[in-house]
Amino acid sequence: MTPGRREFLMVGGGVIATLGFPRVTLAGPGETIEMKGTARGEHVWFAPVGLAVAPGTTVRFVNRDPGNSHTATAYHPDIFDRQRRIPEQAVAWDSDFLLPGESFEVTLTVSGVYDYYCLPHEMAGMVGRILVGQPTDQGWEGAAGDSDDLEPEALAGFPRVDDIIARGRILREEYE
Amino acid sequence: MKSALTLAAIALTLSSGNALAHDEDVLQMSPPGAPYIQVSDALPLPEFIPGLGTLFVDPDTLPAGPFLAYDHDGNLSATVYMTPLEDLQSGTSYDGLAVGNHTVSSVDIYFNAGHPGVDRPHAHVVLFHDEDAKSRLAE
Repeated sequence: MTPGRREFLMVGGGVIATLGFPRVTLAGPGETIEMKGTARGEHVWFAPVGLAVAPGTTVRFVNRDPGNSHTATAYHPDIFDRQRRIPEQAVAWDSDFLLPGESFEVTLTVSGVYDYYCLPHEMAGMVGRILVGQPTDQGWEGAAGDSDDLEPEALAGFPRVDDIIARGRILREEYE
Repeated sequence: MKSALTLAAIALTLSSGNALAHDEDVLQMSPPGAPYIQVSDALPLPEFIPGLGTLFVDPDTLPAGPFLAYDHDGNLSATVYMTPLEDLQSGTSYDGLAVGNHTVSSVDIYFNAGHPGVDRPHAHVVLFHDEDAKSRLAE
């Protein structure tokens, strides 16, 4: 993204002029992330796969896939002993399996980058990234680096932090 | 002596045939009974999966199956196999798999990214047992 483009950020259909570090209008206090899949299960994904929210936002994960169950599970040692990919001060979460129509909510208060995955579909690249707050926030913790803990399919699934900042939310449009 | 052996062979063949026919009959209506269990009772999956119906499987045959697929009225409509692509690539073969019904009207093969029970990318091989089976399993 060029510096010129960074001065005008499309967020929720609005255009925001910024000076210096790009700013984004953060979604909140409630946001929904859908768990979706094609009819035969060839593709599964979170929608949006990337989302920027304000601290204190409650994110609701809802399974819109009629033929499959999904989880929203934070990368954290407390949950299946995974490498931490959420801010150190944040509380890890795991929705457990959600059947079609079921939902789970988590309130995110600590600024930083949160990476999460769907337990049965991580190898299919069903991962997501939430930005809470902005990089200028005190205590902001950026994205975790590459790791042997992750399959290549999962690593490839995280949207870039800069892209989420610029767009506010990112959909995998090829499946939508 | 020869005719006695022939009769014995025929009797054995008929007996075996009857046993197979009997076993197959047992599977035609839901529930199929032991060793099959309903997949949604053991795994976090919908009771009726659009496209596959209500699935039963003998856990000892996982991951490949056969999975017996029943429609809303409990009729066996398809036999489904699930074969992880990684296993196939590494040389695993799934041979001599059982079928729920020996009448097969059509076969669909397609990719699936994974689901509880078979959480690795795999192929679904679906043997439909009559012309209307696919529509009955659709939703």
